[in-house]
Amino acid sequence: MTVSALENIDGFRDKWPFAARYARVNGWRMHYVDEGAGDPILLLHGNPTWGFLYRDVIPPLVSAGYRVIVPDMIGFGLSEKPAREQAHSLDGHIANLTGLVRQLDLQRLMVVCHDWGGPTGLGFAMSNPDRVRALTVMSTWAWPTPPAEFHTRLVPWRMMHAPLVGPYLLGRHNVLARRGVYLSVVDRERFRREAQPVYEAVMPDAETRLLTWVWPRWIPLDDTARAQARFAWLEAELAKSRLPTLIIWGREDEVFDAATFAERFKRLLPHADGPHMVTGRHFLQEDSGREIAGLIAAFLDRQGGV
Amino acid sequence: MADVTVIARPVTEGTRQALVLTEDRLGHYPEFRAFFVRTFDLDRVGLSEPGFVRAPSGMAYALVFVGRSGEPFPSGLEINAIVEALEPLDDTAVDTDLWAILGWMIGGVGAPWTVEDLHATGRLYRIPAAG
Repeated sequence: MTVSALENIDGFRDKWPFAARYARVNGWRMHYVDEGAGDPILLLHGNPTWGFLYRDVIPPLVSAGYRVIVPDMIGFGLSEKPAREQAHSLDGHIANLTGLVRQLDLQRLMVVCHDWGGPTGLGFAMSNPDRVRALTVMSTWAWPTPPAEFHTRLVPWRMMHAPLVGPYLLGRHNVLARRGVYLSVVDRERFRREAQPVYEAVMPDAETRLLTWVWPRWIPLDDTARAQARFAWLEAELAKSRLPTLIIWGREDEVFDAATFAERFKRLLPHADGPHMVTGRHFLQEDSGREIAGLIAAFLDRQGGV
Repeated sequence: MADVTVIARPVTEGTRQALVLTEDRLGHYPEFRAFFVRTFDLDRVGLSEPGFVRAPSGMAYALVFVGRSGEPFPSGLEINAIVEALEPLDDTAVDTDLWAILGWMIGGVGAPWTVEDLHATGRLYRIPAAG
């Protein structure tokens, strides 16, 4: 899929005026936008979104004098979407991101992480600390089981991605983009009007939605889980990290609730700034994009600016 | 879900198999793989033949089990509608049938998985077949 497929959606280009760029990374075709000039800020989305999630965050950061790079995770947005579940792994996605950063030779990066952009972005940052200047974490996690009580529940979480049920609900019916995101924003009417058609259109067929049920299956629920060791490593590396870190959280976030998750990041990274609370559920960028951009720019200013 | 029944291989002359749902990781929760092994005697049958079920629409479905080196069998599953060879699918009927097949599967997998929880999840996400 290319960006032209989205241009018949009312107002899409007004909201997403950015030039599409592509890079071959780790064997896959990755779409990204690259706007502005200055020290780079990498904005990372998760499941089931794409760079569009950051449409209100990009312009203020560019205006503040930063270069803003927003990749679409392989499997989402305008990036290549592999057809087989086995194409996806947490390590593979970290390698995808590492491939892009090295290709663009980005240095002094602020890595901004949301949802699965957290484990991937923080995994990249911990394995490439020489390229990273600072971190921002939002509604994500970076430690082994269990991520949240929500993820251990049978309804809806485990049922939603169970064998065959996942391909049916999330593949045939696209329920994460169609309903899941809607339920996880504060201003649902605005979301329905301005964003939902874009999130749905970018995953038009069941095969293009594969990663929406594969990522849930990568969340460790017990000690035998595939990503258990990687998350344990990630938590240990973060605990040693002294990278300046900003914590931003949605006040209304019920999935990754602030009292559990933002506070755990604060314990893991006691030097972190925040948590700064903004209006938002899990997809807080939908409700508070400009405020988030302001917090990031102000934080970087305090670190010495552009 | 009594509306789904395991059947012997149906007459397939003049039909084709139309792929309608694919699962690459049947053992993500091992009890799901165990259900299919038990129901279709897969430890004995292996890859020699698909399993067949009849769904509420009256249509038959072939459950094609997929093996993957190094993983317990079956690692994956394809559900194929058996339809008239040159006719297009009735996608609405297929969707309702698939929902019934999921209910049959969940009921067979057993606790803690329940058909009621499947339906609750379907209603939360406004799946037409969930009512």
